[in-house]
Amino acid sequence: MAQEKKRAINRLQTMRPIRAEIDEIYKRSVEAVKAGEPTAWAMVNYWLADAIFNAMDIAAVYPESYSAACAAMGAAQPYLDRCDEEGFPTHMCGYARNCIGYTARMMNDLGGEIPPEAPMGGMPKPAVLVSRGLSCDAGFKWFQALGRYLDVPMWTLEMPIPGVEEGLSEGAYEQNVEFIVKELREFVKFLERVLSKKMDWDRLSETVHDLQEMGRVWHETNELRKSIPCPMHSRDFWSCMNGVTTPTGDLKKKLELYRNLYDEVKYRVENKIGSVAQEKYRVGFTELPPWHSLSLFDTLAERGWNFAIETWGYHPPIPMDLTGVNDPLERLARMSCGGLITSRFRGALQAGEYMGFLGYPNLEYAKEYKLDGFFLHPLLTCRAASAHLWYVQDRLMQKLKVPSLLIEGDIVDIRLFDLADALKKTEAFEEIMDHYKEVRKAEGMEW
Amino acid sequence: MAKESKGLTKVKEIYQDRPRRVKELKAEGRKVIGYLCAYPVLEMMTALDLVPYRVLGNMREPITKADACLPTMVCPFLRSSLDLALKDEYEFLDGMAMAHICDVGERMAHIWKTYRHYPYFYFMDVPHTVHKAALEKFKEEIKGFKKSLESFTRKELSSEKLKKAIKVHNDQRTLVRELYDLRKPDPPLVSATQVLQVMLALESIPVEEGNELLREVIDEIKERQEGPQKQAARLLIWGSIIDDVSLIETIESVGANIVMDDICVGTRFYWPEVEITQDPLDGLAYRYLVGIKCPRTCREVISDQTKKAYAADLENRFGYLKDYIKAWNVNGVILQSVRYCDTHGYEVPAVRDYLNSLGLPNTYLEHDYSQGSLAPLRTRIQAFLEILG
Amino acid sequence: MYFAGVDIGSTMTKVMIMAEDERTCSQVIGPTGAEHRRLANKVMEEALQQANLPFDEISYVVATGYGRVNVPFADRQITELTCHAKGVSSLFPNVRTAIDIGGQDAKGMKINQGNLVDFAMNDKCAAGTGRFLEVISDALGIKVEDLGKISLKSTKKVEISSVCTIFAQQEVISHLSEGTPLEDIVAGLHDAIAGRVVRMVKRLKIEPDVVLTGGVAKNVGVVRAIRENLGCELLVPEDPLLTGALGAAILGKEIVLKALAKGEAIPRKGRRLEEATFFN
Repeated sequence: MAQEKKRAINRLQTMRPIRAEIDEIYKRSVEAVKAGEPTAWAMVNYWLADAIFNAMDIAAVYPESYSAACAAMGAAQPYLDRCDEEGFPTHMCGYARNCIGYTARMMNDLGGEIPPEAPMGGMPKPAVLVSRGLSCDAGFKWFQALGRYLDVPMWTLEMPIPGVEEGLSEGAYEQNVEFIVKELREFVKFLERVLSKKMDWDRLSETVHDLQEMGRVWHETNELRKSIPCPMHSRDFWSCMNGVTTPTGDLKKKLELYRNLYDEVKYRVENKIGSVAQEKYRVGFTELPPWHSLSLFDTLAERGWNFAIETWGYHPPIPMDLTGVNDPLERLARMSCGGLITSRFRGALQAGEYMGFLGYPNLEYAKEYKLDGFFLHPLLTCRAASAHLWYVQDRLMQKLKVPSLLIEGDIVDIRLFDLADALKKTEAFEEIMDHYKEVRKAEGMEW
Repeated sequence: MAKESKGLTKVKEIYQDRPRRVKELKAEGRKVIGYLCAYPVLEMMTALDLVPYRVLGNMREPITKADACLPTMVCPFLRSSLDLALKDEYEFLDGMAMAHICDVGERMAHIWKTYRHYPYFYFMDVPHTVHKAALEKFKEEIKGFKKSLESFTRKELSSEKLKKAIKVHNDQRTLVRELYDLRKPDPPLVSATQVLQVMLALESIPVEEGNELLREVIDEIKERQEGPQKQAARLLIWGSIIDDVSLIETIESVGANIVMDDICVGTRFYWPEVEITQDPLDGLAYRYLVGIKCPRTCREVISDQTKKAYAADLENRFGYLKDYIKAWNVNGVILQSVRYCDTHGYEVPAVRDYLNSLGLPNTYLEHDYSQGSLAPLRTRIQAFLEILG
Repeated sequence: MYFAGVDIGSTMTKVMIMAEDERTCSQVIGPTGAEHRRLANKVMEEALQQANLPFDEISYVVATGYGRVNVPFADRQITELTCHAKGVSSLFPNVRTAIDIGGQDAKGMKINQGNLVDFAMNDKCAAGTGRFLEVISDALGIKVEDLGKISLKSTKKVEISSVCTIFAQQEVISHLSEGTPLEDIVAGLHDAIAGRVVRMVKRLKIEPDVVLTGGVAKNVGVVRAIRENLGCELLVPEDPLLTGALGAAILGKEIVLKALAKGEAIPRKGRRLEEATFFN
């Protein structure tokens, strides 16, 4: 990285080893393939597959993250173009386009060899594809489309996403847990057959326990960000999050790194050290960050913008008491269904809000983290992460008098994001945040 | 008072003023439940004397109010539907039955619920696969739907009532197949434009009235002299929802007969029948989750083999098209979808690969659910017909 | 027998009259404009005069192009995609892929033995059409016809990243103010338009021989840029504007000969040589 000059965002030291550890993913999978071990390409799956991969020694890479990395390095365009040539619509998910273009190149041009120009060592040809049904249709349509280039078996992990009232109705939660558990059992059988490997159930139990602990530490770290001033900026979150959302490798080693991170953040809280010099505005961010233009946040930090919290869906499940739940698959099901997807449903119901997984958590964040505003970032090629943002803006204003700024962009196509224009809009937004601070004060709200 | 019209005349009247009949029924004390897409279980609503009414958009109406809730880069059909609701065009509904059809559809359900209040509102989660566990889960989901309807109507939905409703809806499906059979001859006895009007009419009136209308229409078509002209092109149209005749008319007017379809106001909606099972919920769950062949469901083959062949995957997903093509003597396929529809967008290359493997000429048209987008399509349609020769 | 092809493009109208042995009797190119869509008959009259033929001697008239419905004296209207495919094939018998960049659209055509088998079109967006070059040359204060030779002087083309013509214009202006040499900017613009067009055509799986037609084909800079983007040889006809009208005339001949061989009447539909009205 660049020499250590005085940066606007006070980055956490303990973030660096975590990021380095995350970057090892690609190298590990390439080495695994060289050693004759199978690699899985997986969508982010909220631990349901991750724990199983870990217990079965399956090296996983996550094309979503890989595409984000390609975008951040400015290397995505040739793959996007290739995807267009292959006949896919241009409005599709940028991650999917990058990956489909990459795969077409790897398989059709190079006979399965990793493209030499691919950043970070590329992604090796997988032995299995694991897609998912939660949060977006691209989650399985994309991998299904890869079948054109890869004759590789695919499994789609199901994750239910009920409505608030429906999800809280009698028996609904238990049904969903049962559903996920049944699916996971079949998924394990599928992997065993396709990859000729056996599940080590004891190891799975241990892995799930490690994940739970890692999640708990990471959750508590993020809880500390409620302090004023906020000790950890979203940039550090984004640098570290993949260690938890796509957990691979040595989990015990990772756990140590996250514990160190927690300690550093705790230290800052105790000493009132914020992640920006002068915290003027506490801001939330949702949904996907502009990976290709993260310098935006440094500029904003100079003006006192401290991003205290971000996208709920990237956060670890809220810790649950799972004593008595011995089946590791059931633990996983409860953590994802109860700790993540429906964990805020009761609050939503009480508040009369109906978008329990994607919308309402932002309102809870605003309250808990005492946010002055939200930076909402709709992306042209991701409807899943954008369609609801105008609604979220309205709910934040209606219910909490918290304003939001809508700045459009794209996840991989840098030509669709106008940095200069975004910065201009943020200046005007400061005045709006100031105004609504007064409005909230006048209404006797806590912040 | 106008004479009670019948057959195709009645179809046209209904098509031009879709809510008229349900508003009459409301005045008589019936309750009307709006539903979006093909997943809400119609039989359950019918069994409790509720009138299901398919919620659609209006491509001729500029979208104004929905912009505040849904951005422009999403499916224009859904935006239009929401826009109409926000303009109070759906105030006559006693409730809405929504399902997890796609990303935007799912989010829109919650948005709709926030801004428009009805005495009844239900959101059904629909699994994305046809795995065994997913089917079992979906059975639970429709059980939940059933309970909600019972709670709303304060009536019990007995197995007997449900089986009766299943029969009536299955009857409609059989009649639709009879209607579609009339498209097999060359030239077909009825144009796609008229068939679409019939389908949309059926989705606007109670199922028994729809059955009666279908019988009239089928007889009328068989007897009448005037029908479409013979054209070299006998096309199948595939893709996202078509709820207005203009696209179909545009294609047929360039010089083709559309003799078959694979869209959700056509065969996707009517072809799968409900198998009569001991527990009717089993037949229903299977029909709705597995029977309906929409790309929003991942129809993955989980075989014993460790490799997956693309060709076998395509055959599994699209093999039914081969049957349509053969039985209706189709010689070209037009794939179409609205801009921003990810569900169909991802699917297009795969469907084209399949059709190419059959040696069937095909082309893809993307449009944006507006009158203005149709004229530029004429050249593409005509060029495709010229390729067909 | 004589056959006529009338190609009414958004910018230019082209008429070709051809004898049975496919010898050109006359060819006329004129601006379409708002009026000329209605006045296709005037261009036809000019072509007839040049060929020294009365209208009655024309056995068949095929109209094509954007304005093909406004030709009341045409016997048949056929899309420019099919007509270009036919015209290009008669000039280059081994063509498999044709690219046409017109004033307001761009087309890719896949051809097999003279017949169109697949196509791709961009008629929604100015970037990637002749319009793009017009707008930019306006902004640069140079004539469109000079763009080509200016770009050939470039040794280091700039990267124009904007997808949209309007934003590209802004990029150009900022490059100018930074002192970037004009030829490098123009070369960058040619690369941008070439890249867009080639990406569209690549959906058809490009196979040689590849031929480029349309008004923009007269711009040597774009031709070079397309060659680079394609990575293969690119052929350009002497009269890149006339392939549509040529193909239309040839198709007219094929229709007539087929009818005669079958002993059928020639399927004429054209009325008198007159201007189009709205009540055709």
